Amino acid sequence: MITTTDLTKVYRTPGREVTALDGVDLHVGEGEVFGVVGQSGAGKSSLIRCVNLLERPTSGTVTVDGQELTALAGSGKRAGKELRRARARIGMVFQHFNLLSSRTVLGNVELPLEILGHSGHERTRKAHELLELVGLGEHAKVHPAQLSGGQKQRVGIARALAGDPKVLLSDEATSALDPETTRSVLQLLRDLKEQLGLTVLLITHEMEVVKAVCDSAALMKSGRITESGTVPELLATPGSELARELFPVGGTPSADDRTVVDVTFHGETTTEPVISKLSRTYNVDISILGAAMDTVAGKQVGRMRIELPGSFDDNVVPIGFLREQGLTVDVADVAPVAAEPQDNAGLVKEGAK
Amino acid sequence: MSWSEIQPLLFQGFWDTLYMVGWSTLIALVGGLPIGVLLVLTDKGGMLHNALVNKVVGAIVNVGRSLPFIILLIALIPFTRFVVGQSVGSTAAVVPLAIGAIPFFARLVETAIREVDRGLVEAVQAMGGGTPTVVFKALLPQALPSLVAGLTTTVIVLIGYSAMAGTVGGGGLGSVAVQYGYQRFETSVMIATVVALIVIVTVVQIIGDAVVRLLAAGREGAAAGREGSAAGRGAAADGGAGKRLARLGRGRGVALAAAVVLPLALIGYGIGQSGGDKQTLRIAASPTPHAEILEYVEKNLAEKEGIDLDIRKFNDYVVPNTATESGEVDANFFQHKPYLDDFNNKNDTHIVPVVNVELEPLGLYSKKVGSLRGLGSGDTVAVPNDSTNEGRALHLLAKHGLIELKPGAGQEATLGDIADKKGLTFKELEAAAVPRALDDVDAAVVNGNYAVDADLNPAKDALAAEKVEGNPYANFLAVKDGEQDDPRIRKLAKLLNSPQVEEFIEKKYKGAIEPAFGHVGS
Repeated sequence: MITTTDLTKVYRTPGREVTALDGVDLHVGEGEVFGVVGQSGAGKSSLIRCVNLLERPTSGTVTVDGQELTALAGSGKRAGKELRRARARIGMVFQHFNLLSSRTVLGNVELPLEILGHSGHERTRKAHELLELVGLGEHAKVHPAQLSGGQKQRVGIARALAGDPKVLLSDEATSALDPETTRSVLQLLRDLKEQLGLTVLLITHEMEVVKAVCDSAALMKSGRITESGTVPELLATPGSELARELFPVGGTPSADDRTVVDVTFHGETTTEPVISKLSRTYNVDISILGAAMDTVAGKQVGRMRIELPGSFDDNVVPIGFLREQGLTVDVADVAPVAAEPQDNAGLVKEGAK
Repeated sequence: MSWSEIQPLLFQGFWDTLYMVGWSTLIALVGGLPIGVLLVLTDKGGMLHNALVNKVVGAIVNVGRSLPFIILLIALIPFTRFVVGQSVGSTAAVVPLAIGAIPFFARLVETAIREVDRGLVEAVQAMGGGTPTVVFKALLPQALPSLVAGLTTTVIVLIGYSAMAGTVGGGGLGSVAVQYGYQRFETSVMIATVVALIVIVTVVQIIGDAVVRLLAAGREGAAAGREGSAAGRGAAADGGAGKRLARLGRGRGVALAAAVVLPLALIGYGIGQSGGDKQTLRIAASPTPHAEILEYVEKNLAEKEGIDLDIRKFNDYVVPNTATESGEVDANFFQHKPYLDDFNNKNDTHIVPVVNVELEPLGLYSKKVGSLRGLGSGDTVAVPNDSTNEGRALHLLAKHGLIELKPGAGQEATLGDIADKKGLTFKELEAAAVPRALDDVDAAVVNGNYAVDADLNPAKDALAAEKVEGNPYANFLAVKDGEQDDPRIRKLAKLLNSPQVEEFIEKKYKGAIEPAFGHVGS
């Protein structure tokens, strides 16, 4: 539904060039909720703006619903008629809602319908319908300033849906909301996706969002996509940074001669008593250092950090057993003293001498 | 002056001010709004980014804003005549006022629109809106409260500018204050007009603020707190919100009605003013004594002769002549022969004198010394700075031996034509400002009319004064060449040289101004 090929975006200011996108290939399938995560400055924002050409990419192509948008006319910031028509079929939701304070809630939802040239009566009918859809039917006549953040974003979503889009872009739509409101807005997005068969591309810096609604995800770092795939695929990929970010497990080994293993359960394995099997089969004492259990896209996923006695060489067989059970197993190189990431572990050891 | 005399001045001034400010505001709004929007759109990062257009428009706006208004007023006279067909009067003053206000308002519009969150622009673009949609559906509605605040500021600046409209005979409260308060030392008039101006400015500000509040109602976070709780209470019964909206609608209606009715009233006033009587003689005159003499004629003598006078007062010496040349007034009465000759020469105009009326003897006055002998080396003397009055002043000083002029120094002698200053220092000031400088200098050469206004009497107070006989500086009635034989002009000329006028001048000015009737010598 959304495909970008070798997308680059370079911002030129006198004496300085900033590469925001550095050859991004992205594919979002129809009916998918696709999350792009990354820290601020990673290029997420440029990416989503290049999809509806709010920003014109320096090179590369963007295709949405079979139409190559980058081929449509328009110079600089000015969009041609074709491009404007294409944009009207792509909904967009913003972090700061971007509602017009000069209009009522109803007026805000009517705005895209005005642009599409709907008649007055038709606009009002459709806008009311959309507000009912997002659960704000009775707030039609108030101004946005009188709504809470979550309500404002619901208006933003209703507005984004006015053009009957097949694609919805969400630019950090929940980043300005508290956790509870975030959950309800994400639930709404999920419901709407099911109800209307939407394809959603969202960018966020919150893993919670990916966990709650995404079918697929990609990790963005300095203008490049470093990992990408469906959430189960990512969780099944050993060494996946996204998977680790999605389910961070903590815990430090009790002594030096221990092997620390991160185990990810998903699919059927979640119901299998693998740990007790392991303990009985190989007669080893297993300590659980940390664990997390969650539901991703309607499926249960778990992650656990366990400690086996002895060095890695002593534990090759038990680890092999875990892999045979269909689990994703990562051997974590964690120092016993501090719960620092691997990179810093060496330094800590140095300091300890 | 008594209140009954001040009141008509104030009333007329008020209407003139309202008329000038109303129209120029309307034009500034229509002209400044698109320019302000264009400045934002063509700026870097704007939707119609165009460095050339932005720089050129920006430069024009800056030039417009840096010109002192009084210069704009004079510089635009040809343009004004082209646009409204006249260069004097309230309508003519509207043109420079509007042109002065357009760049000012345009910058305020620019600032107001820049304050609109860029995210809104992005949102409208993402919906498929083009530039016009962004401007009319997002930028302007969002900036409306700021725009109204900017317009309020513009109106107030225009009220200030309009005080200078007296230069082109535009009238208005500010010019009443200058004419009567500053030049004629009528402190009561000055106070009354200043108070009236303060009241007007305050009322404009209050109305502007109220409209801004009305427009912002429900938009802002602060209001949201109050309104929000009201919405909470009224959520079950939606009627609450509906009523509130209706109230807002009514308020908008009132504001809209005011915005429509006020300009319409002004237009009506303008039409009422412009529909002049053909029989009426329009005469441009300096306020004192020319206009006063004409008013005497109008009240006591004109009716019997079947002529009707429309006396227009000017503080300026240029516009009355250009207005006579262009036919916007039928005659003028403020100048003497050397000035007119010089003016005709330099401006290629064809004004001719009809009949001499009076002489305002130029006099040397002092608050420091009692006689001519008291003046000498080291003293400072103020003189008028315009070419003819300065020459006239220097000739007066030379005649009394205070300086020596170079041989052949003409009527337009300047400080450079002095052969021997005899130790005196000169300060050149605008003629109207000279009497005000008397406290700061040892002596000053003051025009008769300004001396009268400053309570000086040429007959009694002057250390030295000009003589009437053979004086080329007698002031006369003048018309455009060819109009001398207009029967109305001949009647007026006769009246101005009547025994009644002679008696009026002698009684009223007690020698400060003297009758000097008869044909104008060449």
